[in-house]
Amino acid sequence: MLAFLIPGAGHLYQGRTVKGIIYCVSILGLFFWGQKMGEGMVVYGDVTLSPPRIGPLSYVAQLGVGGFSLPAAFQNKRAKEASNHSVRRLTAPFTAPFAGTLNPPEGTEPSQLVGTVRLDPAEGQFGPEVKGTFDGTLDGKPVKLELGGPRFELDRPIKAGSGRKLECGLLDGAGEGSNLRGRAIIGTVPRSLLNSYGVTPDPAQIQDLNDSLGKTYELALVFTWIAGLLNFLAIWDCVNGPAYGFGDEHTVAAETKSRAVAGAGPPPPAGTKEEPIRPEIAPVQKTPV
Amino acid sequence: MFDSLLLAQANVTWYMVPLAMAISLVYSASRYELPEYILQRAFRLFLQIVGFMCVAFAILWVLTYGL
Repeated sequence: MLAFLIPGAGHLYQGRTVKGIIYCVSILGLFFWGQKMGEGMVVYGDVTLSPPRIGPLSYVAQLGVGGFSLPAAFQNKRAKEASNHSVRRLTAPFTAPFAGTLNPPEGTEPSQLVGTVRLDPAEGQFGPEVKGTFDGTLDGKPVKLELGGPRFELDRPIKAGSGRKLECGLLDGAGEGSNLRGRAIIGTVPRSLLNSYGVTPDPAQIQDLNDSLGKTYELALVFTWIAGLLNFLAIWDCVNGPAYGFGDEHTVAAETKSRAVAGAGPPPPAGTKEEPIRPEIAPVQKTPV
Repeated sequence: MFDSLLLAQANVTWYMVPLAMAISLVYSASRYELPEYILQRAFRLFLQIVGFMCVAFAILWVLTYGL
């Protein structure tokens, strides 16, 4: 069970430290490297979204890694709960690090924003709004922007990917002399690991990943599949021992043979204590002087 | 063509090395118990895998020569 939940843990528990470390480092290394290459959207429980022709086999292979792929089965259910929806109205103050762009007027390049957003719920002329500030840098220069208005959307809390999309309008007159009417900041705030690990990505997210990563995304899948399949070997070894024996078979066979020749009978059953074999010492003969 | 093919695939091809290392280590560890045996056999298996991939690459290169 331990060998399934954490690759190598079963061997470590059995005292087979070197093998435990080999399994742990090799299998988990491959698995998490694959996860990193696929931006954390490689292992997911909704098998209908797996690549065509592969179907549910993708998750079955990844399941071999046990404790690190099992959450995907539960995260899928959490993500489908009715309460998991995008936020258009804030009910409590919201502060988070932000990275994204200031959406530009037509025909110009977007400016890069990095900083912190602080938003509070507010009551506008036509209903609930948000009001707040962005503190950070705009293309490397310090800037403070006034945020607000009805244009606000925060992505679902539970979703694949470490970034949670945030879009918020800018208040007129904010900034440094630029016309900000109709403009907004668009970017991401961090999503916790608990709310992103193993969650099934949207088809659009998978499409984006394939576009941006290309072959790397498929390699990431292959890494996680192989890691899962390798752990089946490790589990087998943990339960039944190594396929070609423990390496001491020659010694046991030789001992059995020597006992048979000496007429000492078969060796004692496993687990019983036995006197160590000592070379017989010939008695010293006293020679008369 | 050989150079351009290698360069184009360089990033992806290098992933083969750690992948082969991990597979060799885990496979050998599941066959043997003694660490020195495991490392010896893993090294041999790693060389076999890389050698096989090189042969496959060479065959594909020859087959696509001039295309």
